[in-house]
Amino acid sequence: MQTNFTPEQLQDPELKVANGILRTCVHCGFCTATCPTFVELGDELDSPRGRIYLIKDMLESGRPASELEARHIDRCLSCLSCMTTCPSGVNYMHLVDHARRHVEETYTRPLPERALRSVLAMLLPHPGRFRWAMRLAKLGKPLRGLIPGQGTTAKRLRAMLELAPEHIPAPQPVTGTHPAEGARRGRVAMLAGCAQQVLDPEINAATIRLLTRMGYEVVVPPAAGCCGALTHHMGRHDPAMATARANILAWDAEIAAGGLDGIIVNASGCGTTVKDYGFMFRNEPEAEAAARVSALAMDITEALARFDYTPSRTAPPFTVAYHSACSLQHGQKITALPKQLLAKAGFVVKEPAEGHLCCGSAGTYNMMQPEISAKLKARKLANIRRTGAAVVAAGNIGCLTQIGAGGPPTVHTVQLLDWMAGGPKPKAIEGL
Amino acid sequence: MIAPETEQGVAEAIRAAHDARQPLAIEGAGSKRGMLRPVRAAETLTTRALTGITLYKPAELVISARAGTPIAEIEAALAEKGQQIISEPPSPLGVGGATLGGIAATNLSGPRRIAWGSMRDHMLGIRAVKGDGEVFRSGGRVLKNVTGLDLCKLLSGSHGTLGVLTEITFKVLPAAEATGTLAVSVPDVAAGVRALSAGLGSPFGVSGAALLPGGLASLGLAGPVALLRIEDFAESVTYRKGRLREVLAPYGDVSLVEGAAARSLWRGVRDVTFLDAAPDEAVWRLSVAPSAAAAVCAALPGAKLMLDWGGGLIWVAGEASEAMHAAVVAATGPGSFTLFRAPDALRGAVAVMPAEPAPLAAISARVKALLDPAGILNPGRMGR
Amino acid sequence: MIRLPAPKPEVMARRPQILAGLAALVPADALITEELRLRPYETDGLAAYRQMPLAVVLPRTTEEVAAVLRFCHQQGVRVIPRGAGTSLSGGALPLADAVVVGLMRMNHILDINFEDRYAVVEAGVTNIGITQAVAGDGFFYAPDPSSQLACMIGGNVMMNSGGAHCLKYGVTANNLLGVKFVTIEGEIFEVGGTHLDGAGYDWLGLITGSEGQLGMVTEVTVRILRGPEGARAMLAAFSSIPIAGQAVDAIIGSGIIPVALEFMDRPCIHACEAFAHAGYPLDAEAMLIIEVEGSVAEQDALLARIRDICAQFSPISMKVAESAEQSLAIWKGRKGAFGAVGRISPDYLCMDGTIPTGELPFVLGRITQMSEQYGLGVANVFHAGDGNLHPLIMFDANDPASFAKAEAFGADILKLCVEVGGCLTGEHGVGVEKRDLMTVQFTADELDLQRAIKSAFDPAWLLNPAKVFPLEGNKVLDAA
Ligand code: SF4
Ligand code: SF4
Repeated sequence: MQTNFTPEQLQDPELKVANGILRTCVHCGFCTATCPTFVELGDELDSPRGRIYLIKDMLESGRPASELEARHIDRCLSCLSCMTTCPSGVNYMHLVDHARRHVEETYTRPLPERALRSVLAMLLPHPGRFRWAMRLAKLGKPLRGLIPGQGTTAKRLRAMLELAPEHIPAPQPVTGTHPAEGARRGRVAMLAGCAQQVLDPEINAATIRLLTRMGYEVVVPPAAGCCGALTHHMGRHDPAMATARANILAWDAEIAAGGLDGIIVNASGCGTTVKDYGFMFRNEPEAEAAARVSALAMDITEALARFDYTPSRTAPPFTVAYHSACSLQHGQKITALPKQLLAKAGFVVKEPAEGHLCCGSAGTYNMMQPEISAKLKARKLANIRRTGAAVVAAGNIGCLTQIGAGGPPTVHTVQLLDWMAGGPKPKAIEGL
Repeated sequence: MIAPETEQGVAEAIRAAHDARQPLAIEGAGSKRGMLRPVRAAETLTTRALTGITLYKPAELVISARAGTPIAEIEAALAEKGQQIISEPPSPLGVGGATLGGIAATNLSGPRRIAWGSMRDHMLGIRAVKGDGEVFRSGGRVLKNVTGLDLCKLLSGSHGTLGVLTEITFKVLPAAEATGTLAVSVPDVAAGVRALSAGLGSPFGVSGAALLPGGLASLGLAGPVALLRIEDFAESVTYRKGRLREVLAPYGDVSLVEGAAARSLWRGVRDVTFLDAAPDEAVWRLSVAPSAAAAVCAALPGAKLMLDWGGGLIWVAGEASEAMHAAVVAATGPGSFTLFRAPDALRGAVAVMPAEPAPLAAISARVKALLDPAGILNPGRMGR
Repeated sequence: MIRLPAPKPEVMARRPQILAGLAALVPADALITEELRLRPYETDGLAAYRQMPLAVVLPRTTEEVAAVLRFCHQQGVRVIPRGAGTSLSGGALPLADAVVVGLMRMNHILDINFEDRYAVVEAGVTNIGITQAVAGDGFFYAPDPSSQLACMIGGNVMMNSGGAHCLKYGVTANNLLGVKFVTIEGEIFEVGGTHLDGAGYDWLGLITGSEGQLGMVTEVTVRILRGPEGARAMLAAFSSIPIAGQAVDAIIGSGIIPVALEFMDRPCIHACEAFAHAGYPLDAEAMLIIEVEGSVAEQDALLARIRDICAQFSPISMKVAESAEQSLAIWKGRKGAFGAVGRISPDYLCMDGTIPTGELPFVLGRITQMSEQYGLGVANVFHAGDGNLHPLIMFDANDPASFAKAEAFGADILKLCVEVGGCLTGEHGVGVEKRDLMTVQFTADELDLQRAIKSAFDPAWLLNPAKVFPLEGNKVLDAA
């Protein structure tokens, strides 16, 4: 597609990259039909092609973003379904990241929204603060009906309370080194994550149990923390880079110290970002270390396949609906592996229709865009119910929370795999 | 009767008639003269002398011929190269001799239509003369063409009222290597249509699906019988007959019809001779959704019936009266009907086909005025 | 750059009143008027041409469409119908004084009837959406344009879209039973129904492929077909384009009509392989994708016959898909071909002429020569069985000279198609792109006749004007 940047604009390395991406887009429109927001809203402006066009116009003009641009870019889930569809190889992810940063830096959102976003950015990446907030939210949940008004802020606040879990599990600290059981076959680092630790510490526990049982030493360096995805997707460049940098340095130190066979991520939203560190830091002093880290990053299912996961029990006869998290299927292009592992573990695996459409969770999306999110959730639940499955497995905490509220019980894929390899039965399906 | 041998001759005759405001009856061989309304014209223009195949490229699956070329001649030329006209043009009620132009202008298709499309579906290009004597072309000679408005389709089925076709180019296909027919004895029309739907809804490529409510004496079948045909490579036909038989078993006793018997069977369906209409009876051709067929038939007790196209095409023969006509129209419901043959008194008095919705009728009148400004082409034929 | 008719000053002057009038007809979220938000609607799948519209309306019902058309008719405002905006001929290119009426929100499937084998859907349902809705019961909707993932059935009707499988199953026109039609006056009526070949003039046939010149379609009744037991694709790679062309002739000449017979040349093979990872032969100059249907045994028998025929043309390699996934990947590459060329060239013009298949070697040879003359690369991918060519002319849209050359190159190819007995467009439509070439294929009188038929539906030429017919000699538009 034609672009109209001035030679001066193209001196800016960031704009140069954006121009390269825009030039790859041939405006064919294939991506529109697989975009969840276009399917729901039926407006070119809420389609990938329309957003690309808006972004092009905004960046070319060099003007600050306006409410309109912010509106349509904010509605993007960053699910990356468009990237799977695009025959031309347009890197929408990098383009929209760039655009979000531009919006964040040049547009002043209305005060309540700004406040909300700041609060989220302050809370989510920090497990301690987040747990505290969840406790408060739980107390507030019964009162959500009392929040007056149909304004955006009121809806968002209600959505946030809605999401607060009934039960906040006790923390299970994981930092440190977890030795391999039996002969050591290798050594891996694990990203402990942020919100996931609070919402379901069992996921990390299952990951560590399974890997150590398979002969891998698992290290969780204390200096590593949130991957930065949440703030990154809010366009908050500096905080995102800061948390990411901490991880890179911590893991690179482990590479230097004892060598790593992988950096395991069990929240696919984070995995997509960690795999992108190389790009994010391409112009930073840590470029090389970031590239090393990205190269070693792998989703837990990739690791299990590579390390030759084998079950030791016979699976119960219930059907598992596998929900393919966007960050896994579109962001990391991991589609068959989790299903193959579940099948290897002995489960009957079904895939819901419209598997390419996002469930509406998408990081903070379900709080910031409650209406679209609710529509997508309802659509997803209907498709899942049609499979008749007793349990839903997925590889991302956001999806698990979103689908779990209102659908069949949800578990992380690794929990089922750990169970079949000698671990405990996941609590969520105790009754099954 | 004017019988020009060239397109220019057709054009001149029409221009003269246009200038003189003299209506013309337009026909090919005249085999469908009794269709629809009587034409109000003293003079007839026939294309029967405008004959000859003008282009035939078997490897490109394309043939062109002048409008007056008899269908039989085209079929013979195609057969030499192992090909055939896809839509299986009929000689309805056994009246043969049709020309290519006549089949195109009436868009009549045989049993294969249900699977492979109608005559109109395969018309790639036309040359024609408007009602003011001007020649025009539409389409071309290639298999895929969306350049400009598709006047081939507009003229197909227009019964010579929008222009006189002079040359037609259409797609042909290789004739199947083998064919096989299954006959199912069914208890009634409803069950028969369900059997046909099951066949057409199977993956076995049914290319003919007819229903004879009165049975089939030649096979010794007295009750209604559903007929299904497969045409393909020999290996496929053998295999598919077997599988289709399994699909049809729940609907009644299935028997196989082979060879000459099968061919004559499908000729009878194609030419509607199974309807067995008496010379003084009127004949209607109805097109409905197949699932409506049983109700249509039930609403016409005493009428002779023959169904094709999976039950969607119903031929009706009965008393040539306005009452019977009204009954047929009522039975057709949201489908479409044609008074196909009737004494002039009846076909001059009733609506021979459904009326267009008012806004469309207005457009229709403008288009007719455009293509036939003096109203001289087959006036009255389509009801106006 | 293409010439567009001058905006009507009286319409531009009344923009506020017109927008207010539209606002009274549709909900607030169905009307787009801000410049910023109109921007993405300034173009479609042919991004080389752009024009900002007056406004965009996104109706949800036929009644809303009718109300908007009626209003535009009263006000003398031009209307641009739009589906998914995937037209490769600029069929949805706006005009400055026109209201774009987009049907994307009318995306509901209204009725599916397996016994009578039809589906009734709103115009904004995607082509593949129909197949997906009936696939569970073994059925499918046959026409499958490459953009089937995104393109909408309403647009398919308006362009009479084809696809890879139309050699056997026909194009859109052959798979329709009826439409709900809205005239520019806002009148709504049904054409056709759920039955075949009704009596009377074939309005359905005329409307199909009319490129929005006659009216808008809001609901479509399509035939659905039971799918075959199975299908398998094979790849045959050849050392030159003419040899592959001969193989095509030989296959058709043998009496086999494969459900699909697709051709790709070297640049295309490479681009598509990079996207689909389908195992395309990277060492070939030309490749055929040949698909057959039936039970496994039937497929084997047909593929054996086809392999024997191909073997006579010293193929570099032949490969039969071993699994459903492999067949899918083979098709994913083919269907993504246009976009995939975006990987090797920032911009391309996609031509769509059809030629008699016997002329394939000659025409492809000439295209190669022209490519050298113009100094622009070209990738060829097309439906070989029906002679529908898709040369993709690669150029750089950021360089005006390059674009002008690409346009001239494209025009030369299309003229050549007409010269050898073919036509300007096989399935993409004339749109704005090939409008001025219509005189190559039709005489002035023939064009006037077609224009007059449009006038019978749309006397004031408010519907998608400036498309299909050359502006020169256009009495109504000139007068306007
Ligand atoms: S990332 Fe998802 S929501 Fe955003 S444009 Fe792409 S497909 Fe649409
Ligand atoms: S599919 Fe890719 S090339 Fe096509 S419009 Fe979308 S982003 Fe652009």
